[in-house]
Amino acid sequence: MIQQFLDPAILASISGLDLIAKTVVNGFVAGLHRSPDFGFSQEFAEYRAYNEGDDLRHVDWNVFARTDRCYLKRYRGETNTQVLVLLDTSASMAYGSHSVHKLDFSRFLASSLCYMANLQRDAAGLIIFDEDVANYIPPSTRQGQIFRLLHAIEKAQPGTRTDFAKPFIHFQNYLHRKGLVLVLSDFYADPDLIVKTVEPLRFRGNEVILFHILDPQEIAPKFREPMLLVDMENPSASLEVSPEYARHDYRQKIDAHIEALSSKTRSAGMDYFLMNTARPLDEGLREYLFIRQGRM
Amino acid sequence: MGFLTPMFLGGLLAVGLPVWLHLLRKHKTTPTPFSSLMFFERREQSSIKHRRLRYLVLFALRTLLLILIALAFAQPYIQQKLLPLTRSGQITVVAIDNSLSMRADGRLDQAKRMAKSVIAGLHPGERGEVLAFGSRVQVMSEITDDHSPLNSGVDSIEPSDARTSYAELVRSLRSISQATKQPLDVHLYSDMQQTGMPANFNDLRLNAAVRLEPHPVDAKPVANFAVENVVAPRRVYDTKKARVLATIAGTNNQRAMRKVSLFLNQREIESKNIEVPENGRATVEFLSLEVPFGANRGAVRIDSGDALPNDDTFYFSVERVEPRRALFVHEAGETRGLLYFQDALQASGQSAFVLDPATVEQATNISPSKYAFVVLSDVPGLSPGFENELRSYVRDGGSVLVALGHETVANARVPVSDNRVDGTRYASRNGEQFQTVAWLDAGHPSIQQDNRWDNVKFYQAIRVNPGNARVVARLTDGTPLLLDEQSGEGHILVFTSTFDNVENDFPKDAAFVPFVEQTARYLGRLNDAQTAVFVGSFEELRDSKEKGAAVDVLDPKGERALSLEEAARAQNIQFTMAGFYDIRRPSARNELVAVNTDRHESDLTPAPPETLSLWQNTAQGTAGSGGESGPESSDAAPKPLSLWWYVMLAVLALAIAESWLGNRHLSVDKEAA
Repeated sequence: MIQQFLDPAILASISGLDLIAKTVVNGFVAGLHRSPDFGFSQEFAEYRAYNEGDDLRHVDWNVFARTDRCYLKRYRGETNTQVLVLLDTSASMAYGSHSVHKLDFSRFLASSLCYMANLQRDAAGLIIFDEDVANYIPPSTRQGQIFRLLHAIEKAQPGTRTDFAKPFIHFQNYLHRKGLVLVLSDFYADPDLIVKTVEPLRFRGNEVILFHILDPQEIAPKFREPMLLVDMENPSASLEVSPEYARHDYRQKIDAHIEALSSKTRSAGMDYFLMNTARPLDEGLREYLFIRQGRM
Repeated sequence: MGFLTPMFLGGLLAVGLPVWLHLLRKHKTTPTPFSSLMFFERREQSSIKHRRLRYLVLFALRTLLLILIALAFAQPYIQQKLLPLTRSGQITVVAIDNSLSMRADGRLDQAKRMAKSVIAGLHPGERGEVLAFGSRVQVMSEITDDHSPLNSGVDSIEPSDARTSYAELVRSLRSISQATKQPLDVHLYSDMQQTGMPANFNDLRLNAAVRLEPHPVDAKPVANFAVENVVAPRRVYDTKKARVLATIAGTNNQRAMRKVSLFLNQREIESKNIEVPENGRATVEFLSLEVPFGANRGAVRIDSGDALPNDDTFYFSVERVEPRRALFVHEAGETRGLLYFQDALQASGQSAFVLDPATVEQATNISPSKYAFVVLSDVPGLSPGFENELRSYVRDGGSVLVALGHETVANARVPVSDNRVDGTRYASRNGEQFQTVAWLDAGHPSIQQDNRWDNVKFYQAIRVNPGNARVVARLTDGTPLLLDEQSGEGHILVFTSTFDNVENDFPKDAAFVPFVEQTARYLGRLNDAQTAVFVGSFEELRDSKEKGAAVDVLDPKGERALSLEEAARAQNIQFTMAGFYDIRRPSARNELVAVNTDRHESDLTPAPPETLSLWQNTAQGTAGSGGESGPESSDAAPKPLSLWWYVMLAVLALAIAESWLGNRHLSVDKEAA
């Protein structure tokens, strides 16, 4: 039931990214309310018997007064993390084999992540880029930040081709403190180049998560007949592709690409997550929260 | 090749559908945007070509399928003459007619040449067999694919004097077909004589596995003259000149004069010129045949000058013998019976028997064994010695005729046969006055040729218990009138009345002379041997007493017709050639048999083509295709054979192939869907 509202196809029928973000996050959180592992701010976490070496600041003296026993009261961390969402709006992100194309899906995911960060009072920021930086909203916890972010996301339009090198140099200039960097892209580039480009962010102490947004037709293309394919980032390039090639050779190549990107990013200390635009958004959110928890 | 319903060929337009689907529609490629082509390469074009090739195979299958469906509806057919080439395991049977008519104009040699050309045309591994047939079928070679024994079989076929029998050939073909369980391709070389066809056309019915191909040899109506028949006495008993009547027949001839000659022992006796009408017969009478003692070889010849000289001579056998003696025993003083019987015997025109009368007393010292038969005419009683001699005489093959009268009643038994006499039956003056014959066994030799005894009045008859005897005639009150009892090898014929014109008026009736004549021939074993028989007929060589005794038979060439084993055991012989056969039996019953060719062979008129066409079609159980389809034109007028089944089988195979290939493409579609 809950999953139904996280289906990208259903979210696409909802107007307004704010509403979409609320629907996703609220539904997602409601589905997890019994989980002891997740929570925000100063929420009570647990009582634990005092052991030697424990910080006395966490002893619940009220309990000690009543029971004459030392217990530690644990809270969830209340750190303000800077979250920066990097949204790729290159032309290839406009591809979609069903009602939700990759850019829409990325919008939903980015807005949801921003909304969730805002709930947590994290300083959320946004960079929209293709071969250059198209828009930049610095991270902030100021009032109205969420609306600025959602507005920027909503205005994002497919641009030209992807060039990671140029915009990422700018990112390094914008990032002044450590935080969480979420990159939403289809990563149509050499994995070595991508890792090499993104890696500096990690060196500066950032947690980097790559959300690899791909359409199911890109992961496993199924053509009924030979097709003349036109490159969306380079309309002058076209190829006639047979269904057999798409079923076998292409799959091998795209799988190798995904595998290479995954292994190389993880080996570089970054996190990688493949997002299928036909699947619900909660997988992406869960991945974010998992990383976010690790930062407490 | 043709089509029974060619309008359905319009369905071929449906071929346009796969053409549009595969050729026209396929080339319409819409550019489709894709996010990135970084994982596609230029070399995919070869894959597309391969793919396109497979589409072309599917296209070809679909096109062919539609074409075949349209063809199936159009019902194509081919001519059946192509079919025999596809029959596997068939045996080519070469049947050559070697009957008498094939001697005309070298027809047999022509048939052999034609047969050898067929044998030469047999492919390696194709088996054949050679048959020769006339009235019988001879296997001239075994079933083999070697041409040399087949050609040798053809070479070894000799002309015969037999009559053509196509029914016999068909019977043999059926036997071969059933034995080999293989289809037969029969090549028949014959002059196709109309007279060789059986009376019942059903005898020509062929098996379904037999395909007949007649090859008529010189099948044109040819004029021919023949001595059709000769009537001459078989035996002559006196010095009177015998009468010979010959019938000359012409077939397909014009009116012509021909010289006819009578020969006896190869010496010309007389010759006459006669006019033979068109397609008719003429008779010529010779009255100058003077026959010397012994067996004589007679012949009537005609100078026909036609293509078939073998039927220009008609052989006949005539024998001059002494008349045989018969004993007539009667009561002394009672000679009326002797008078009537002797007169009747002489009046019959046959002087084969001479009657020796004897009284009962005289007969006591007579040995009956030297007589052809013995007549006991109302004798009161025989001496025991003579009666015993008669009994042994009968057992050894002699015959006795017993006439019963009032003298016999006193003994209360029939002489020799010892049958009981139950009494005598008198016709009363006040009652029926006389009796007549109520029933006659017309099959008995004594009355076989004349059984009109209706007007004979019997006033007295002796009632005899028949016992084991065969009752040949009965009176109106059921009293047996004529009894025939076999005793040993002989016969005892009992006439329960007399021959004296007292107890009946039979001696004055017209039936009496034939009765006496036939009875004398029957009892004296004077058989009615024919003056001539035809080729293919049989002759009995020995009776039961001559078992194991050698019988010599010399054929017309003077050679022994029987091997030693056959000479000792054979019960009969079949005459296979025209001429005189000299049969020498151990009991000195020598016989000269004149054998003539069957005059059916003289008619060289071929069977009409319609008949041959019908004969060919009996294997298919269908009627003839028409009058114009003759034996020569049987190849030129083949029957249509529908290919519908073959086309539908091809459609089925193509449909399966198309489904399999199409399913492979559809599986891609399903996954892509």
